Amino acid sequence: MIVVMSVFKVLMPMIYLVVWGSYLWLFYTDHPVARRLCTRLAVTAVILHIICMLGKGFVLGRMPMGAPLEFLCALALAMLATYLVIEIRIKAKSTGFLVTGMAFLLIFIGSSFSTTEPEVSVYLDDPGFAGHAILVLFAYTALSLSFLFAVLYLILNRQLMKHQFGLLFRRLPSLDTLERMSVGAVKLGVPLLFASLCLGHLWMYDLADRMDTHMAAMLSPWDPKILISWVILLGYTIGLVGNRFLGWRGKRMNVMAVVAFISVVAAMGLVHHFFPSFHNFKSTEPISTLSGFPESASHILVRCEGGHDR
Amino acid sequence: MIGPTTLHVRSINHKNAPTEVREKAHLDPELATRLMDALGGHYADENHDPTASETGCISVIPVSTCNRTEIYLEVTEGTDADALLRRGLTEVGADADIFFSEYATELRDLEAVRHLFGVSSGLESMMLGEPQISAQLKDAYRLARNHHEPGPGLLRAFQGAFRTGKRVRTETRISIGAVSVAFAAVELARKFFDKLCDHRAVLVGAGETGGLAARHFLQHNIGHLVVVNRSLENAELLADTLRAERKAGLDKKAEKNSGGLLAPAPDPAGKCGKISVLPWDQLTAAVAEADVILSTTGATEPVIMPEMVEAAVPRRKGKPLFLLDIAVPRDIHPDVGKISNVFMFGLDDLDGIIQGNLDARAGQVPHAQGIIQEELEEFQQWLEDIDLRPTVAEFKAYLEGLKDKQVGFVRKKQSEEVAIAVDRSLQQFIKKVLGRSVSTLKSAQSREERERDLETLKRIFAPDERD
Repeated sequence: MIVVMSVFKVLMPMIYLVVWGSYLWLFYTDHPVARRLCTRLAVTAVILHIICMLGKGFVLGRMPMGAPLEFLCALALAMLATYLVIEIRIKAKSTGFLVTGMAFLLIFIGSSFSTTEPEVSVYLDDPGFAGHAILVLFAYTALSLSFLFAVLYLILNRQLMKHQFGLLFRRLPSLDTLERMSVGAVKLGVPLLFASLCLGHLWMYDLADRMDTHMAAMLSPWDPKILISWVILLGYTIGLVGNRFLGWRGKRMNVMAVVAFISVVAAMGLVHHFFPSFHNFKSTEPISTLSGFPESASHILVRCEGGHDR
Repeated sequence: MIGPTTLHVRSINHKNAPTEVREKAHLDPELATRLMDALGGHYADENHDPTASETGCISVIPVSTCNRTEIYLEVTEGTDADALLRRGLTEVGADADIFFSEYATELRDLEAVRHLFGVSSGLESMMLGEPQISAQLKDAYRLARNHHEPGPGLLRAFQGAFRTGKRVRTETRISIGAVSVAFAAVELARKFFDKLCDHRAVLVGAGETGGLAARHFLQHNIGHLVVVNRSLENAELLADTLRAERKAGLDKKAEKNSGGLLAPAPDPAGKCGKISVLPWDQLTAAVAEADVILSTTGATEPVIMPEMVEAAVPRRKGKPLFLLDIAVPRDIHPDVGKISNVFMFGLDDLDGIIQGNLDARAGQVPHAQGIIQEELEEFQQWLEDIDLRPTVAEFKAYLEGLKDKQVGFVRKKQSEEVAIAVDRSLQQFIKKVLGRSVSTLKSAQSREERERDLETLKRIFAPDERD
């Protein structure tokens, strides 16, 4: 099994590279063969990656996205899978080269540099975390794709305004399609984010019962990260309602999508910087041990994101 | 030489002849039929052996479009094709001299076939990659087939040409992208609106250019087309014509026969392609409701002013408004283009798009030529195998004769079921023996070796008194 995993570790970036190559070929030439191939290759890559992750999870006995480099690989999968859902729904392939290129970069970095077994928190073995983390991953990936399509919309809009009829004009889908792709990504992201927040709350209360009192006290639904996530959810939901019922369309809608995503990144960055304690589960001791010896809480190794011991 | 026959083509086209020469060389279907009568193409041998009229002509296929007149001839070896063609053209009253002037090109055998493949692929067309030529070639072929059975060379060449044309159009992008003003207008509009069916276009002016642009928008299933014109009568007339054409186009599409009309894209729900008319004094109201505005009037002053568009913009809630001015002098005030979310384009922009598309098509030529080369090699392979056919047919007839004798013998001695089973078994046996023999013959290293093999086969299986 470990040999198979090692093969996959080399193979997956290569498969992603082929997928990216096929989308690039499509973008530059719009060749019918590339048109037929690219989606099939991408679907194959997603299926293989899922098999690879399940296999790795089975070998490690935990979800393989606890360490930063593992997370990059998972992010690559989420990006490709979310993009495929949008591509198949909207039937527009010409933006794929950007997404698959980013996915390739992520998996390349994730596969190239993970050499030793990373230390991950025991809390992350919990199935509740698995569901919560996967949903969060897909939700924010969908929102980032919405940002990407909105940026492409604004680029094409600008080219049309300036009467420039170059490669982007010829290859990018219509403004209408780009907008539908952007809104479609938000339509995917909002329910996923909502589900992830709900599951996160449930998991938090479940976890609080099993961990020591000191750590349990750190878990709060009023944590800034959770609050900001609800605000993000609310903001995107308002955007969707405006688009659906108030006729928010065109440049204004896409500028809003860009501003919204930049705000998400900025807000998350600020919260992460000023409130680093929450969402940090870097204990390596088993949960049962922790809950059995509450007095040993001060010895639990819980690192901050910056690597400081607390 | 194509086996025992030769292929010739005489071509007068847009590359080597001006319009007036092409006009003189044009052969309408009636004249083309008379030419076929005169040349006497009548290949119809049931064994598919080339037979010719007394003139030596096996087959003739005239192809005549607005940009080219070409006469494809298949004649028996040694026939003077030029003299034959000159005589035929003179007999039907066509201007034979033009076909033998400096405006005409003559190609033979494989070069003629290569040219035909290029024509079918649109590489020889005035608008590189235009698809119409494929249908025109098929019409010419159909006309010739109704007159006489084409010879083996022309039959194979035309079938190969249709296949090549189809491959080039599907495997390359040579036919993609607008190369006419009206189509470029649609292409540009589709950069804004994916499904035109959900949108409303206003055509300002009911002239010829506007009508053509409107036809293209209807072909791409614009949701609602509103014609606004100073003369309501002319607007009504254009709307009626467009409605009738659309209905005829949809009917023909249903019959899978696009004909000469601009056949609309499928619209099973029937919710696209509404056409209505508004009087000139309601132009402002029409502009306020539109997603696409096409202006093509002959007015000397702008008819669409910034204030008309500014009034419409707030209602659009950020949706882009697409305006296309294809009138000279311009119909839309230049300041309209400065309004936010309003995209105004003119003829120069469409020219830019067309030029870009033509350049992109030109980039596909090497790929198309590669496909033509592949098909030509296949044709050449067919040619190389053509000399095998009579011997293989003879061999097959010999084996089938033996089989029939054996089956007859079994039928006398055994039941009918046994005879049928033996017949089937021997058929399989013949198939295998023939397949093996043909592949062995094809694998000969040289022409001499192949001829020697064929001779041996003939000697072995030639009927003699023992049979």
